[in-house]
Order: sequence, then structure tokens, then C-alpha cells
Amino acid sequence: MNLMQAFKMAFKSIASKKMRSFLTMLGIIIGVASVVIMVSVVQGQNKKNMEYWEAMGDNKIEVQAYMWYETSGSVADLLYEYCMSMPDLVLGVTPQMQVWDSMKIRYDAKMFDTQNYDDYEKRLQVVLGSDQYGVCNNYTLGGGRELSFLDIEKTNRVCVLGAGAKKQLFDFVDPVGETIFINDAPFLVVGWYESFGLDGYSGSSMDNVILLPYTFNRSLNNNQQMDQYIVKGKDAKSTQLAVIKLRTFLQGFIIDGENGWSNVYSSDTWTSEMEQANLMQSLVLGAIAGISLLVGGIGIMNIMLVTVTERTREIGIRKAIGAERRSIIVQFLIEAAVICGIGGLIGIGLGCMGSLIAGKFLLQGMILWPSSMITIGAFTFSVVLGVLFGLYPAIKASSLQPVDALRAE
Amino acid sequence: MLIDIKDLYKIYNEGQESEVRALDGVSLQINRGEFVAIVGASGSGKSTMMNVLGCLDVPTRGEYILNGTQVTSLKDRELARIRNREIGFIFQGYNLLQDLDALDNVILPLIYRGTSIFEREELAMDALARVGMDGRAHHRPSQMSGGQQQRVAIARAIATHPPIIMADEPTGALDSKTGRHVLGILQQLYREGTTILLITHDDGIAATAPRVVRLSDGKIISDKHQEVDWL
Repeated sequence: MNLMQAFKMAFKSIASKKMRSFLTMLGIIIGVASVVIMVSVVQGQNKKNMEYWEAMGDNKIEVQAYMWYETSGSVADLLYEYCMSMPDLVLGVTPQMQVWDSMKIRYDAKMFDTQNYDDYEKRLQVVLGSDQYGVCNNYTLGGGRELSFLDIEKTNRVCVLGAGAKKQLFDFVDPVGETIFINDAPFLVVGWYESFGLDGYSGSSMDNVILLPYTFNRSLNNNQQMDQYIVKGKDAKSTQLAVIKLRTFLQGFIIDGENGWSNVYSSDTWTSEMEQANLMQSLVLGAIAGISLLVGGIGIMNIMLVTVTERTREIGIRKAIGAERRSIIVQFLIEAAVICGIGGLIGIGLGCMGSLIAGKFLLQGMILWPSSMITIGAFTFSVVLGVLFGLYPAIKASSLQPVDALRAE
Repeated sequence: MLIDIKDLYKIYNEGQESEVRALDGVSLQINRGEFVAIVGASGSGKSTMMNVLGCLDVPTRGEYILNGTQVTSLKDRELARIRNREIGFIFQGYNLLQDLDALDNVILPLIYRGTSIFEREELAMDALARVGMDGRAHHRPSQMSGGQQQRVAIARAIATHPPIIMADEPTGALDSKTGRHVLGILQQLYREGTTILLITHDDGIAATAPRVVRLSDGKIISDKHQEVDWL
């Protein structure tokens, strides 16, 4: 019996036992598809997180500094001056402060309230910063100008709009030179930023800012304590150096727990923490995917073993009419390989479709495509499993005497 | 001499308390073109005899020469070849593959024989025609009566034109009319020169065979030639 014949026989056998073939495939389909989907969702989520952090900017240093009996703005002024004293290390420094109180923002007949929104992705935010706010947060100026040092010092009634805020207030009108009202006080729009182009709430919240000079903290924000600052380093090396210098500088006048506290993180710290979290997430979901593959594998195993007796008899008959051991094993091998191969391919197809659907609904329309490594791995695992357990009855029964195989009930 | 067995034993659980001697030192010679009925009560060893003679089972001890070949020393591959080319089997329970139609069942031994794809179907249809089943070539076993299934099984047994047909209670599951029909087919094959071994517990059927070998407790107790009315 040649190979061609063995193939034909295997296909005939698969076609004539549709239910069993289907059940065997099902285990593989579910196993492969679930692994593919889960892994691509994790990878998509990780990619998204990394994109967000990258957009937020490299060489970004977050400074938390707070003094209990501080006179207004003194830490901010000291930090500002200190950073300006090392221009070879630092590109910019700004307080990072959001006004949490309800602000009524009006332009023309359009009226928005920062505390009253149905859709969080459209919620405007009034933030306070320095003339270097844009640099520190990786904004790109779209038109007009940034805040100036003079604006800060003189507490000028000016503002810079994020792309989302500009769109909501002005649509397509050029906002530069227009006046908006914040809690009925007029502010001149001097510039606006390009959009970050990121999806989701975290992305749109960066676009929905209305930036005012931080000296408005007193009048607009009940003179709340400013404790968050962003310092932008020049490059990776100077950022590291700046982190150390800033720590020393702050510890020079803030003693943790006695008159306040301070903390300095670089974005490197955040990135490595992110990577750690991503790895954990990958491991957990990978384990779940592995379990589903295992369950699929057990399903394959079950259905294959259940058919052992049935197939033992068949093998007995085939041997009685003259089949060699070898041709029986070859037939069963091809049969199992074909069933598992088809099941694996369907599983990959479903997995890709599932990934796309998951990307659309879970990750804001992100195009998810499973990694080929994982796909090939899951495919190989289930096919090998299927073939092993498909061959098992053949190997076992073909070594029996025909009469013993025929006796199987 | 086609079949020559000498001092053949098939012993299960040898040396234990539960030892069973299914064949207990049997010697028998069968010539080409004979029609032999092997008779005995259930448990007499007649089925074991057929399994051993048909190379479906190996004897514990003894000599078996089939057509000049010492069978007991052969490997799986050569035994498969003998089962395929020298012997056609007919079983009480038909042993057709349920998922294949009649034609595919009959084609199966031809595939294992290596018959070319162009001849196979024709040879199989010929075999089916000889048992009057060519009209049902594309029925599955489950769509046929017991008698029809047994006729398909006979077609499968004769498809490779083996010199020996071994039938183990071929009429056991059939009513007497279909049983006679099946016996008639065997008698026709005998007339054409095929050696027939018919295993049965039924003395009425044994009475139609020109030679009757009677087994009891694994031993041959009689071996007689007799006149039959159909010759």
C-alpha cells in the first residue's frame, strides 16, 4: 500500500466518522483559538501602555515636594530657580496641578463645566503650569505661543488650549487672540497644542487641558498646596544625574516627616515598573491560556482514547484481510495529523478573528494580530498531542494478534 | 498437501490452575480442493483451530505448514501477505467496516494487496456480482439484512481469489433460508476449485460437507469422508 493510498484511506475514514472527527477537532480549535486570543490581547494591552508612556515623554522626572508650613509657592519658586541653574541637564520645569473644583468655561454661547460631563473622554480640565509646561509634557505647539515667563510673574490672564479643548470650544476657528471666560473671568487664548492622537480616557485627558499660569493657584484654586512637578531632562544620562541632584537639593530643606516630604522619580523608573507589571500580566494570562490549551488537549486525549475499542476492532478486521502493521499505523498517523492540522488551522483562523474583535471592543479599535511564535507554538502543541493520542490505539491494536483485536467489543 | 499441521497446541494460561487447552496436540492434513467441515460443541476448540489455520492467531507449540511454507516462523509482514492472498475469511458476525459501503469493503483487501486503482473496482464488482450483491454496492452494512451483509463479506473474502476460504459459523446468525443460500455460494466456490474450511457446531450443516472433522476438548475425535447429495 503506497502513501497516496494511505492518504485516501485516511480521508475516507475522517469523512465517514464526522462526529468523532469534529469532536477531536473541537478540542484543538478551542485550545489554539483561546491561546491566540489571550496572548494577543495581552500584547495589545502592553503595546498600548508603552505607547502611552512613550507619548508622555522620555527623560521625564516627576517630583513630589511638599512643605507643611510653606508660604505660597516657595517650593515651586525654589525648584524653578534651581532647575534653571542647570540648563545643561534640564530642558524645563513646571508644576503639575489640576484644578479639581467645578470651573465654568464659556466661549460665545458654548458653556462647559469641568465637573459636569456625561462623557469622561470629553471632560475639560483646567491645569496650572509654568512657561515650560509644554516641553515638560511633550506637547507640540500647534499655533500661537506658549505661556511666557512674564505671564507667570505678572499673573497675566492668558491660556493655552489642548487640541481637545480647542475643538470643543472653537471647532475649526483659530482660537489665538480669542477670549474665553473661566468662572466669568476673561482669559486670552495665546496658543494651542497638537493632539497626542492617543485613544481612551488617558489620551483624551491630555488633549482636553486648558493651561493657565500657575500663579493663578491663589485666586482659582483656593491656594491649594502645589506638590507635583515635572522636570524634563535633556537626555537619558543628564536625566539620571538630574534625579540625583534634585533629590539632594530637596533634601537640603525638606526633611521627610519633619517639615514635609519629597520624592523624585524618573520615567525610567516608571517604565521599568510598567514592564514588570506587563510581564506579570503576561504570565498570568499566559498561564490561563496554557490551562485552556491543556483542557483542549485532554479533550483530544479523551475522544481518542474512547475510540480505542471501536478502532481496535476495525484494526482487527483490517489485519484479517491482509493489512500489514505498518500500513495501519501510517493510515492512523495521517488520519490524526489531518484532523489535528485542520482543527489547528480553524483554531488559528478563529483566534485571529477573535483577536480582531477583542481589539475592537476591549482596546478601543486597536488592530490586534497574534504573534506568530505563540500561534505556531499552540498549533504544534495540539497537533503533536492529537497525533500522539491518535496513534496510540493504532500502535496498541496493530501489535495484537488479529484474533484478539477482533474480539474487542 | 495444502494444509499440514502436526501436534499443534494452543494453551491459555499454561502452567497455571486456570490452564485451558484449546488445541491439545492436533494433527491434520487437508488437500487442495477439499471441502472440510470442522465440527464440535462450543468450547471444543474449533474456532481456535480456524484462527490458527487462518494465521489470525499463533499456536503455543507445533508445526503448521501452509502450501509448503512453515507458517509458525513467519513475521507479521509475511503473515499479512498470507491472510491477504491465500485465505479468505467469513465470520459469523460478518466483520464489515460499518462506515464503508459494500463496494469499499470489498475493495479493501485489494488495496492491501496492491492491486492497481483501475482494476480494483472492477474486481470488487465482479466479486459482488458473484454473490448477487452488485445491486447494493453503495449500501452501507447498516442498510442491509444479515444475509446481505454476509454475502458482502463473502465477496470481500473472494475478491483476491484466494485458494482457501475459511468460514467460521457463516450461517450462525442467519435464518435457515438465507443460511442455505450462503452455503450454496460456498458449494459453488468449491466446485470451482477453492478449498473450503467450514467451522460449525450444527450437525445439519456438517452433513453437507464431503469431509467432517470432529473436535472435542481440543482433540480430533473423528475424521470422516461422506457422500453428499449436492455433488
